[in-house]
Amino acid sequence: MPSALRRSALAACLLALAAPHTGLAQSRDRRTIVLAVPQQASVPIPTMMEGAASTTGNQDVADQLFLRLAVLGPALQTSGDDGFVPQLARSWTRRDSLTLAFDLDPRARWHDGSPVVAADVVLAFDRARNPAIAPKLAGLLRHVAAVTAESDRRVVIRFDRAYAEQLYDATFHVQPLPSHLLASARAAPELPREFVQHPVGNGPFKWVRSVPGQFIELAADTAFFLGRPGIGRVFIRAASDPDARLNLMLSGEADATDVSAPVSNFQRVAAAPDLRTASVPSPVMGYLLFNQRDRTDRSRPHPILSDPVVRRAIVLALDRVMMVRATYGAYADVPYGPVSQLLWIRRGSPRAARQNLGEARRLLASRGWTDSDGDGVLDRDGRPLALTLNYPLTSEVRRQMATLAQEQLRQAGIRIDLVRLEGPVWSERRSRGAFDIDFSSVTQDPTPSGLTQGWTCHGGTNVGGYCDPAVDSLMERAIAARSGADRLWQEVLRRIEADAPAAFLYAPSYVFAVNRRVATVRLRPESAWRDLWQWSVR
Amino acid sequence: MKRWLAGRVAQAVVTFALAAVLLFVLMRLAPGDPLGRLATQRPLTPDEVAVLRARYGLDQPLARQFTAWAGALLHGDLGTSIEYGRPVAGLIAERLPATLLLGGAVLLVNFTLGLWLGVQQAIRRGALVDRGLTVLSLAGYAMPSFWLGLVLAWLVGVRWRVLPPAGMSDPLLDPAAGLGARAADLLAHLALPALTLAVVSIAATMRYQRRAMLDVLGFPYIVAARAKGVPEGDVRWRHAWRNALFPVLTLFGLWLPILATGSVFVESVFAWPGLGSLAAEAVGTRDYPLLMGATLLVSALVVAGGLITDLAYAVLDPRVRFG
Repeated sequence: MPSALRRSALAACLLALAAPHTGLAQSRDRRTIVLAVPQQASVPIPTMMEGAASTTGNQDVADQLFLRLAVLGPALQTSGDDGFVPQLARSWTRRDSLTLAFDLDPRARWHDGSPVVAADVVLAFDRARNPAIAPKLAGLLRHVAAVTAESDRRVVIRFDRAYAEQLYDATFHVQPLPSHLLASARAAPELPREFVQHPVGNGPFKWVRSVPGQFIELAADTAFFLGRPGIGRVFIRAASDPDARLNLMLSGEADATDVSAPVSNFQRVAAAPDLRTASVPSPVMGYLLFNQRDRTDRSRPHPILSDPVVRRAIVLALDRVMMVRATYGAYADVPYGPVSQLLWIRRGSPRAARQNLGEARRLLASRGWTDSDGDGVLDRDGRPLALTLNYPLTSEVRRQMATLAQEQLRQAGIRIDLVRLEGPVWSERRSRGAFDIDFSSVTQDPTPSGLTQGWTCHGGTNVGGYCDPAVDSLMERAIAARSGADRLWQEVLRRIEADAPAAFLYAPSYVFAVNRRVATVRLRPESAWRDLWQWSVR
Repeated sequence: MKRWLAGRVAQAVVTFALAAVLLFVLMRLAPGDPLGRLATQRPLTPDEVAVLRARYGLDQPLARQFTAWAGALLHGDLGTSIEYGRPVAGLIAERLPATLLLGGAVLLVNFTLGLWLGVQQAIRRGALVDRGLTVLSLAGYAMPSFWLGLVLAWLVGVRWRVLPPAGMSDPLLDPAAGLGARAADLLAHLALPALTLAVVSIAATMRYQRRAMLDVLGFPYIVAARAKGVPEGDVRWRHAWRNALFPVLTLFGLWLPILATGSVFVESVFAWPGLGSLAAEAVGTRDYPLLMGATLLVSALVVAGGLITDLAYAVLDPRVRFG
């Protein structure tokens, strides 16, 4: 074959490969959008998202398929009965301090056409309150005493105690399931295979298909009772690598995705003429947790970090604002207390303390930490002020911040040895308390009552051994308070800041890149894509 | 031959069984467990942890866990993934085609273009072509695959928008589209990850083939063939190349397991839904059943690769005798 002919054949092959790519990108339906997400939903079905299946990927899809009785309003207030927005429940009434009655919207339908009835709510609560099926949900719903159907349209939920977040507990954790399809699965851990493979919901979008490892396709329910979705078809495309998701956006193959730090990624989006950024408060909070117990013998106090003055000095030695700016740019702040941007109790909090190296050195000197041998590291009784800092190698943000913290603390005479660990090893050491300082990150529920897990004396995830009975008491009162809860929560945060059980470093926003062809973008902090049905495309 | 084959198969089965036991034990001895990750993301109470441990069988003694797993394996059951809550065999079956396609494409490029280029280098030893190809192939070999993948995805997929930068298919392609359109879409998505892996791996094939060819071209029978006036093309391809293939067979045996695992980094950069990224995810989450399933598959391929190579040697080279 003459070489010119061979070259032409090669060029034709390349063109043939490229043609479908460009052609399809241009032929996109105007009411179709593609979301690029980190993980594909495996079981996006209420009461099935437990254990390892308790992922954002599952919840995001479940929120398109299954409605709640009501959702949090714009203020994200979880306490009290105000500020919630009706969904499946048209209205609710408080009968007494222990009882709420919900009236279902008669227009609500399952995607197979059956009406949504009170028995659907009862079924979902029965499954959710069963620890053998849903241990996490059962724990969250521990104060729900009974759920009964008074009629086809009325559900009554009774609680075993009076507290401020009854409505939140009754609405946020449980999404009703179709009892006409799943009545036999009331006490079974597994749901019928057919339902798992093709869930029937009542939300704005219907399940179409899943291509494993690639994408999930949903179609608008044109008869959705709250209004016809502005988007006709949604493809939720999985790409675990943040660069791959960003490339899909920049190449026009996706319409929206999350964008992760570092700052350079935000800048890439800002530089793309087709894209814009949108951000919402996120439930994530990162902090350096100080171990107050000896890492080798938990029965003894930590030789350095059990001293609150030393802990406060470490916090003051850190330039947290600089660390946040370097990593997240404008898309994060330094929290006051263990509070992500999602929690409503952060409103009214003072600013976190700024770096004050002089004060940090003075505090350390007041506890006998001086540089007696002139090596740049403080010491006391022959023991250097040296600590290890564990962090997981999978987190680039934490790696970057840990390096900055190491340098900043060096300037205060504190030696930090960074220990970079594989994820499971890091979490195993963390839960065992085998660390001096642990670089932790937590994803919080919208309710501040979740803080009891990590910051009370007997909290289930209190691995740092922090214990202040006054904080425990304040939290208990704040959770129970029907009024004045915000003042009590502020006091909780103030005490925690004073105790300095951790250096609270960053509370980021979720940042999203969205194609400009999407006209109306509404993102929710507690579930980013929940209001997708209200989006529209130009 | 049957006796030889039976012996080799028995040897392979024993090797595979030993590998399975070792893998099981080593995995459980490694620090960390599947619930550790959950506890760090969202608070879990001790009761919740206990329920989940019982659900995943992690509350049982190691010996009992092993006997349960081995018993199920004998019945073809690889268990249920902790992370996905689905049978491991099904998950592997879902991801295997993507991996085989990517690995197969790379093998095809390596063992066609790579061999051909290796031969061209050998017959032009010391010439500009030989030196140029050596430099180019080694440059490709020296490049980290994830870096090359990122560059190609950005340049070809984002900047030029010639090929898709990620994924295995266009979700917008009509499910009822014809075979041609689907194949073209698949090839377009395959091009960049396959190219990335081929560029970083073809050097080994070329170098093996070049060396083997040079050795054979120096043998007396080649000189004799040329002296008899056999056309140069026949000398190279019929007489020399066939004998220069044997060392490359070893390489093929070594490549076979890679065919199944693909490249974790390349799969990740291109969002290619293969087994490599699934296995890497299972390592990160300590999803024991899934990890065991994936590693057993690789073990089986390592053993099979050795067996096939031995068999190929014995069949192709009359000097190698069974027994």
